[in-house]
Amino acid sequence: MRQKRPDRTLGARHDDFWGWCEKGELRLQECATCAKVLWPVMQACDGCGGDTFSWRQLSGRGRVVSWGTFVQDYYRGLLDVPYDTILVELEEGPLFIANPDGFNEAETEWGMPVAVRFVDCEDSAGPFRLPVFAIATGDATALGE
Amino acid sequence: MRLSEVPTPDRELSRKAAIVGLGETDYGDDYRAQRAKAEGYVTPTPESLSILAFERALADSGLKRSDIDGLAYSFMYGGPDGEELAQILDLKPRHTMPVFGIMAGPIPQACAAIAEGKCDTMAVVYAVATRSIGRKFGGRTYGDEGETPTSYYYHNPWGWSSQGAHWAYVWQYYRHRFGRREEDLGEVAMQLRRNAIGHPQAVMQAPMTIEDYMGARFIVKPLRLFDMCLVNDGGVCLIITRADKAKDCDKTPISVAGWGESRIKADKLDGLVRKQLRPQFQDAGGQALTMAGLSLADIGHFEAYDASTMHLINHIEGHGFAEPGTALDRFRDGGFAPGGGLPVNTSGGMLSGSYMHGWNHVAEAVRQLRHEAGDRQTPGLQAAMTSLAQTDQVHPIIFTRGL
Repeated sequence: MRQKRPDRTLGARHDDFWGWCEKGELRLQECATCAKVLWPVMQACDGCGGDTFSWRQLSGRGRVVSWGTFVQDYYRGLLDVPYDTILVELEEGPLFIANPDGFNEAETEWGMPVAVRFVDCEDSAGPFRLPVFAIATGDATALGE
Repeated sequence: MRLSEVPTPDRELSRKAAIVGLGETDYGDDYRAQRAKAEGYVTPTPESLSILAFERALADSGLKRSDIDGLAYSFMYGGPDGEELAQILDLKPRHTMPVFGIMAGPIPQACAAIAEGKCDTMAVVYAVATRSIGRKFGGRTYGDEGETPTSYYYHNPWGWSSQGAHWAYVWQYYRHRFGRREEDLGEVAMQLRRNAIGHPQAVMQAPMTIEDYMGARFIVKPLRLFDMCLVNDGGVCLIITRADKAKDCDKTPISVAGWGESRIKADKLDGLVRKQLRPQFQDAGGQALTMAGLSLADIGHFEAYDASTMHLINHIEGHGFAEPGTALDRFRDGGFAPGGGLPVNTSGGMLSGSYMHGWNHVAEAVRQLRHEAGDRQTPGLQAAMTSLAQTDQVHPIIFTRGL
C-alpha cells in the first residue's frame, strides 16, 4: 500500500535524486569543483558556485540532531496528524529532514544513530520511493558544536 | 533595489532622519470585535487600517498634511498601490515607493530616500488584515510574495513545512544541548503575556500560568500554541523626517542611528538549528552598532521579532545580551521584564501583543525612547535596538532618543 504524500519538487536534477531513490540508493550531489555534498538539490553549488556535479552514493547512516511532531494539519487532511519528523545529520555532512521508520518521538534520543530505508509512496506526479530512517545499532553520541 | 533590500550601513546615514510621528490601530479592540462578531462590525481592510494609522501618526507629529512629501507603503497580503493610497490619504507626495513587508528594509530605505533628497518627510504605512482574510501559514500553498525560501516547499514529501516547524527543531536541539525542560520555555510566553496585560491595545489580556502554557495544544511538538505568534489585523504608520526638520515637531524625535543585515548563504538548517543564527546576529548587530557609534552595553531596551518563544531566545543570545544557554534563566528571574536589566518586548511582542511583522516592535521602541510608555517605561532610556530575524536572515535597527 503506497502512502499518499505532498508533492515533491521535480525538474532538472531533482528528478535524478528521486531516480536514485527508486533504485534504493541515497545519493546526493557532490560538487565537482569543491567536493561539497549538497542538499537540497541545487542547480549551483552553495559553497563555490560550481555547476557540475556527480551523484555520490552515501553510507545512508546518520544521527538524529532534532525532531518534531506535526500536530497542526498543515496539509489539509492529506496526512494523518500527528506524525513524526526527524532531522538527521548524514555521515557525509548534510542535514536531512525525513520521517522516522519503526520508532516514534517518545523513543527518539538526541544523537541516536539511524540508517536509511525506502518506503513506497505516491504524490500527484505518481509513485516514488521516499528515504526515511530506522534506528541503527550503536550508542547515541553527544552532539554539540 | 529589491523591495526588501537594506541600504548598506553607513556612518554618513546615521541620525540623518528621525521618527516624529507614530500611529497604530486598535489591535485589541479589533481582535475582540472580530471574535465577538458584534452587530455592526465591519471587517477591516488594508485601506481602512492605513487611514486610521496614518491620521493618528499625522496628529501625533503635529505636522500639516501638506508637509508629507514622501510615501512608502507595505501591504504584505495585498492592498492599494501607491497612487491609490496617496489619494485615500489625501497626500500629494513627490516620492512614492513600495517597500516589502517587515520594518527592517523599509525604515533604512526611507532614511536613504530622505538623505538622497527624494523627499523631506515620509509617511511609512504598513497594514495587514491577516486574520480577516483567513491567512493560513504552512503547507503546500505557503507563499505568494515571491520571496519565500525554498525550504518551505522542499521537505513537503516528508510532511515538513511551516515557520513553526523551524522553531520546533531549534528548540528541540537547544533543550537537549543545554539541558532545559519544556516548562523553561514557558517563562518567555508568560513574561510576554504579563507585558501584554500592561498594554491596553495588546490582543491577549488573560493571565497565563505555567499550567495554561503546558496544557495548551501542540502545534509542532515540542512547541505549543503559546509558543507561536498571534494572527490579527492592524496597521502602523511612522512619519520620518530629515533630522534638521525634526526639531520643530511636537514629540521628541527618535533618530534612526544604525542598521545592519546578514543572511545565511549556505547550509541554512545548520545555521538555524545548530548555530541559532548566531553568526548572522553578530555580523548584523555589529554593523548596526558601528553605524550608530555605540556598543552593545549602550542598548537599554530590546524589541525582537518573536515569531516564536524560541526565536526570541535566538535574538537575545545571538546579539550577545545573554550567553548561549542562559536566556531562559534570565527570563525566569525577571531580567528581561519591564524594569529589569534589559527590558524586552514590553508591549507583548507578537506572541501576546500584536502580529504586525515587527512594526509593533518599532512602535514600542519609539514610545519607550520618548519616555511615553507609562508603567512599563524603561527608566532613562537613550538607545534601543529592534531586531528582525527570519529563518535565514537578521536585520537589527538601532534608535536613539533626540537628534
